[in-house]
Amino acid sequence: MNHIKHLLSKINVETIKIELMNTAYGERSTLMAKLDPRVAIIWYLMFAILPWFFWNNTILIGMLLYMIVLTAVSRISPLILFLLCFGILTEAGYIIFVSIFFGGDLTAALALMTFTMKLTIISLASIVIFTNMDPERFSDALLRFKVPETFCFGISYGYRMLPILIDEYQSIFQSFRLRGKYPESKGVLGWRYIYHICVTTVKAFYPMILNTAKRTRTTVEALEVKGFTYGMHNPKAKELKLSYLKTTKNDALFLSITCVVLFLIIYTGNTYPIERTVHQL
Amino acid sequence: MKDSIIQLNHVNFSYPFAKENVLNNVTLSVEQGEFLAVIGGNGSGKTTLCKTFNGLIPHYYNGQLSGEVNIYGEDTIETNVAMLSKQVGYVYQDFESQLVRPRVIDEVRFAPLNYGWTDYKKRGDEALDMLNLTHLKKEFIWQLSGGQKHLTALASVLSLQPEIIIVDEPVAQLDPVHALEIYETLKHLNQEYGKTIIVIEHHTEFIAEYADSVLLMENGTTKWKYPTFTAMQRTKELLSHNILPPPVTRLAEASDTSHKDAALPVTFDEAISFFNDRSFTAKGPTLNSVRSPERKPKELASFYGVKQGYKTVEKNYKWVFRNLTLSLYEGERIALVGGNGAGKSSLMKMLTGILRPALGDIVVDGMHASQTSPERMAESVTYIHQNPEEMFIDDNIRADIDYFSKARNLVDTESYAKQLCHMFSLHHLEDKDGRLLSGGQQRRASLAIGLGTRPSLLLLDEPTASLDINSREEMTRLLHELKGHVKTTVIATHDMELVAEWATRVIVLNEGEIEYDGDRRGLFSNHDLMRQCSLHPPQIVRLSEKLGVYPSALSIAEFLELMKRGESVYEPYQTPAFENQR
Amino acid sequence: MNQNSLHQKKELNQSQQLMIFVLSMSLFGLANIITEIVPEFTFGPVELSVSYFAFIPLTMVFLFSPLPAALGAPLGEIIFADLLMGDFGGIGELEGFIEFGLAMYIAGLLVSDPMNKKQISIAVLVGVGIDQMLSTIVDIGKVWIGIEELEAVPGVPESILLLEGISFVNEMLISGVLFGLIPALWLVPKLYGKIEPLMGFEPRGDRSFRSATEVVSARFLILAVFFCFVAMIAEFMAEMDVNFAVWEPEFIEQFGQQFLWIGVSAAVIVLILAIMGISYLKKSSTPDTKSSRKAQ
Repeated sequence: MNHIKHLLSKINVETIKIELMNTAYGERSTLMAKLDPRVAIIWYLMFAILPWFFWNNTILIGMLLYMIVLTAVSRISPLILFLLCFGILTEAGYIIFVSIFFGGDLTAALALMTFTMKLTIISLASIVIFTNMDPERFSDALLRFKVPETFCFGISYGYRMLPILIDEYQSIFQSFRLRGKYPESKGVLGWRYIYHICVTTVKAFYPMILNTAKRTRTTVEALEVKGFTYGMHNPKAKELKLSYLKTTKNDALFLSITCVVLFLIIYTGNTYPIERTVHQL
Repeated sequence: MKDSIIQLNHVNFSYPFAKENVLNNVTLSVEQGEFLAVIGGNGSGKTTLCKTFNGLIPHYYNGQLSGEVNIYGEDTIETNVAMLSKQVGYVYQDFESQLVRPRVIDEVRFAPLNYGWTDYKKRGDEALDMLNLTHLKKEFIWQLSGGQKHLTALASVLSLQPEIIIVDEPVAQLDPVHALEIYETLKHLNQEYGKTIIVIEHHTEFIAEYADSVLLMENGTTKWKYPTFTAMQRTKELLSHNILPPPVTRLAEASDTSHKDAALPVTFDEAISFFNDRSFTAKGPTLNSVRSPERKPKELASFYGVKQGYKTVEKNYKWVFRNLTLSLYEGERIALVGGNGAGKSSLMKMLTGILRPALGDIVVDGMHASQTSPERMAESVTYIHQNPEEMFIDDNIRADIDYFSKARNLVDTESYAKQLCHMFSLHHLEDKDGRLLSGGQQRRASLAIGLGTRPSLLLLDEPTASLDINSREEMTRLLHELKGHVKTTVIATHDMELVAEWATRVIVLNEGEIEYDGDRRGLFSNHDLMRQCSLHPPQIVRLSEKLGVYPSALSIAEFLELMKRGESVYEPYQTPAFENQR
Repeated sequence: MNQNSLHQKKELNQSQQLMIFVLSMSLFGLANIITEIVPEFTFGPVELSVSYFAFIPLTMVFLFSPLPAALGAPLGEIIFADLLMGDFGGIGELEGFIEFGLAMYIAGLLVSDPMNKKQISIAVLVGVGIDQMLSTIVDIGKVWIGIEELEAVPGVPESILLLEGISFVNEMLISGVLFGLIPALWLVPKLYGKIEPLMGFEPRGDRSFRSATEVVSARFLILAVFFCFVAMIAEFMAEMDVNFAVWEPEFIEQFGQQFLWIGVSAAVIVLILAIMGISYLKKSSTPDTKSSRKAQ
């Protein structure tokens, strides 16, 4: 019991904050991080769309293996992978579980396998690419793909503001905590306690909204002074900003390897298909 | 005769739906290479005036503008903010919100990039170089200290290579050491690069040392513009605008009853030569130890061998305190001083129970912090944030004061709140939202909210930061009055004047170690220690040091006592009335 | 001079919109990080979790110009909670962005007076409802495409429908009512008239921020989404040969009556929403169009 208590005391807001910060601001130095962000996005789009066109399990297994290999070399945080697996398994688990109530059998599980594999491939592809991409580079790549300037600015502004907003909210929340009082009895299942936290969480947004509003005003004024709106209508500025985005040999190599791998997977899949046989009930 | 680069002719401005003009018939010219300080009371239109220079008025704030604003001979109405920003840079008082990019390097390249200048990298690098910030290039903005952020904001303004730089109240949000650094930087830009500098400022100590000329604003109009030396001589007039002349000027004025017409010193160097030929009595105040041994006071809070630190983003621990042992006693007024990162905030947060030590024990009012919830601790300890806005959690002041009592269903909620409102003259403001009050009112309200939790130990973080002179004096007076309500008060501050005026005990922290623990005179007489711990002594203390007065005088009155002809002729200025009673 | 003031207004509008956009983005981003941290309580397929604090973007669209506020909020979620936290879903994010942005925009257009509690309540429920209906449509669509010959897999279509139903009710109750309707009713009047001066503009008036055509199209969209939702489910059930009559008795025997309540309450909520929406439309459409015509 004491052990658990000790463990729980370690998981506090501070630890979570550090974990978040580390994900957001940690080093990004893997293979994928070095790719041109546009190539990375194109690569991602291939694997986000292609799985929907195949029902051949061999092909899907091949793609999944390819993704697993890339995930392994990309040094993804185990926490993220755990959450992904957990999410996919529980999702599929419930569907199978419930469908058995409705008179289903294990064919349901098989059918779902295909579906789950598709989702996993897509999720892994996005994790491999996006956890390794510097938000700044990502926003520039989007700008190149003609996403509106405001959105791209939003990404880098969020990157700048995140720690400040979290700190401010935490400090407001603390003010509530210190001046308020936790309910004396926790109630059934601790509902009073949960209720108290929920109410405080919501209430803390009132000062937070006003403080942020005040800050935003200065920010937008500063943007004006820094020529942001001027730059938005200036194609030259955009060109200049994005001029550092250049594809290299590595990018080309990466894309061609991907194509070869994809070709092999599809070829093998067509030669030795594993397809679900549809049971007629 | 230099050219005037800013020329205003009969300018009037009013915000939409406002009856009165914010600017009233302003005529003004600023010359190339000038270092101008704009002074004036709250709401005198200083900031509004400066926003006409870079075209935010009338292009960004719509309102009624009449008259002519010429920058480099060009009427601002004919151009736009983006074009004017190339000539006029603006560093906001809330400079933190001005920084919009994640890293320093992105921030300084942002503006030139928006203008599509191909040499944007060079411009950004040059701006960093001008301010010696190149080593911060790759840092994330959120990891910088306040002073570094201010310099970065200045660098990002410089990246457009403007000829005119406006800085809004640099001293307000920075500690004195960093404020000094900013002013040195501005001076450098002014002298080496010929930039025209305009500061909105009410700290005359800085104005006297750095500015060439002073512009006084009143009710949206320019009262006068004089060279700094002339402006600072008009002590009575400055005071009537709630601006306190530099301490040395006040000292000289008070000391010199014989030659009424002689010029008063305004800068530190002038003061040294002014006082140098005078002799001082040998017997100064004596240094005495902090606690008399015969009557041992009661301990209120104690640290026993505390080790405390935080995890960094790189996931290693950074220790703030390695082995802290310290006791705070009842009846003390403690000033906690030290440079940034010395551990002042951590120490206070440990007392509230929010921050827990890794090792060691903390006992507050008989409670062991490790076994008590912060909510329970809060019944004995209150922490008042540096930024009063963080104290406002409800939508009006009264509700904020009541919050603690109501949560605990205390019977005398009503009467106690009334008493506090009376004490802090908040009765007219009870139903207002804290965020909409003026700086001084916000401070008073935050103090009342703090006392609303009925603490024995009151912790205040920088209670006098960013206050004008008027509110500052009032705050100091209120801090003296706290003793009936709390047993012990601890103030973490950079404001050495406050320390000199208020504290009975000073604790100097330097990198988590206690460097000094004793009375204020002992600290202010130890100039080396102060420098070593990056503390900026008050002007009178520095003057004492230069003139060989030991132990240092802590106030103008004390200094006068020390002077040979010093039959005390000094009458302290009357405490100004509360702002809301005006 | 006149021309100049016209020019100024336009300029100001753009900055104001940027301000609202940035504000909405920051706040909802932050809110999403908090909901990520809040632990989930799972009882079998019923998940008691707060998936988002709907009251934040809703408050924004009610108080300010709906479009920038509605666009900013989902972007904040994507940036703060997903991209920076290493949980970026790629195309999935785009889908969420459109669903949520559209829902919030519509909700914002339904309000003309932020102090009117009835309007706020309807708009909150319609907003969250549209978001949920759209995501249900997309979810079912995905399974439909993703699993070949779905109708031949026994149990799965029913199971998906049931799970989606539960999730719909769950979201409507937790995100829509507990963290949407109730906080919004508390927060909107508190902020109205107070936040606008801080940002430097006039509080929202009866006619500000929405044109008559926008309101008409918003109403059209509500109906469109609703019918699309109903049609999708009906079609799915028909196609998949989901026959509730067949399994019902057996099911009830096995698991008791209460299990059925979930499905029933889903249907009831949809029905209430529909009735409220339609009665609201009927009541306010006539005078509204008239006066807007006058304004034109």
